[in-house]
Amino acid sequence: MSTSAELAPRLSDASVRKLWDVYSFFDWDASIDPDAGWCMLPELVSIFGTEVWEGLSESEQKRLSFYEIVNLFSFVLQGERPLISGLMDRMYRKNTQGAITEYLHHFVDEENKHMIMFSEFCNRYAGKIYTEKKIVLPREYAKGEEDISFFCKVLIVEELGDFYNLAMMTNDTIHPLVAQINKIHHVDEARHLSFGREFLSELATEHCGDWSAEETRTFQTWLVEYLKSSWGDFYNPAVYKDAGLTDGYKVRTMALGHPTCLAFREQVSEKLVNYFLDVGLLSERPPL
Amino acid sequence: METMTVREELRAWILERSGAAPERLSTDDQPILDEGLLSSLDVVEFILFIESLREEEVDIENIEPEVFTNIDTLVEAFFPDEHDGLTP
Repeated sequence: MSTSAELAPRLSDASVRKLWDVYSFFDWDASIDPDAGWCMLPELVSIFGTEVWEGLSESEQKRLSFYEIVNLFSFVLQGERPLISGLMDRMYRKNTQGAITEYLHHFVDEENKHMIMFSEFCNRYAGKIYTEKKIVLPREYAKGEEDISFFCKVLIVEELGDFYNLAMMTNDTIHPLVAQINKIHHVDEARHLSFGREFLSELATEHCGDWSAEETRTFQTWLVEYLKSSWGDFYNPAVYKDAGLTDGYKVRTMALGHPTCLAFREQVSEKLVNYFLDVGLLSERPPL
Repeated sequence: METMTVREELRAWILERSGAAPERLSTDDQPILDEGLLSSLDVVEFILFIESLREEEVDIENIEPEVFTNIDTLVEAFFPDEHDGLTP
């Protein structure tokens, strides 16, 4: 097992070898008819397996899959905004200077390209990027908690996004441009995840043991709520409305409480939750 | 079935979400965030609920956290037609 400082130069080398140009990599002239083909695999659509899903015609399901891929790309894009800002803020610190900061430059570069890629897709084909509803309220942190919380957020958006990327990047059921975006994103994210898991694990080892029981409880409550809130973004009333479903908020509430959707969230989150349990950031499996 | 007013809808949602006793929010000027009834992550869910009541999206970039101070400030910001300036 390598430390993050040992891992960083190898990841930087890989980033240089796999460098790509976001402005020439894709054929943005490809056309997409939302009613004619799948843009997201049906089994990944947020309400798949529910009575509402079964009540839609195939073209309605396909249209929903289009708005759901726009929502997925918007979700990742919105997560990458504070990610880039936070990574830049952590460059050239005592615990990141040298090889780690060099890799953070690649990390930021790649995340910036992902944002350009996702915004081009969303704006070109849907005419919009779905907004997020997060409001940041001031709070106090235990020692090291702010950095740990930041890298937990990074890992959550990247791990959840990567599940979808992996499922769609080589699947010929979905639109080839969507598959291509999923593939390039996964290739970069594999390196980011490798670094993030290790760096977060080192931060947890350094700080969590010094937290009081109350500080640990406060952090773990936040982490569970943040994971649940991130999942909430996948059940977007605006998506349901755009796809032509009536009462998007009611559809969201139904799906969040539906056992099939819950089982899906647990399946997708399993790797992430196991990691949090392994490194001691959670002490029990959370309800989702 | 009786129709709930916007104030009643907001109060019911906050109390259900927080699991707090009704007396914690018996008047519309009692603090919501300062008393810890809602966390910043609850606010995300709360905004979606407010959008469903308004039948219109909330422009998140144009609202300040102070809007979530109490039910009076919420009504003033999101339901101006309902705002009578009085606290029951």
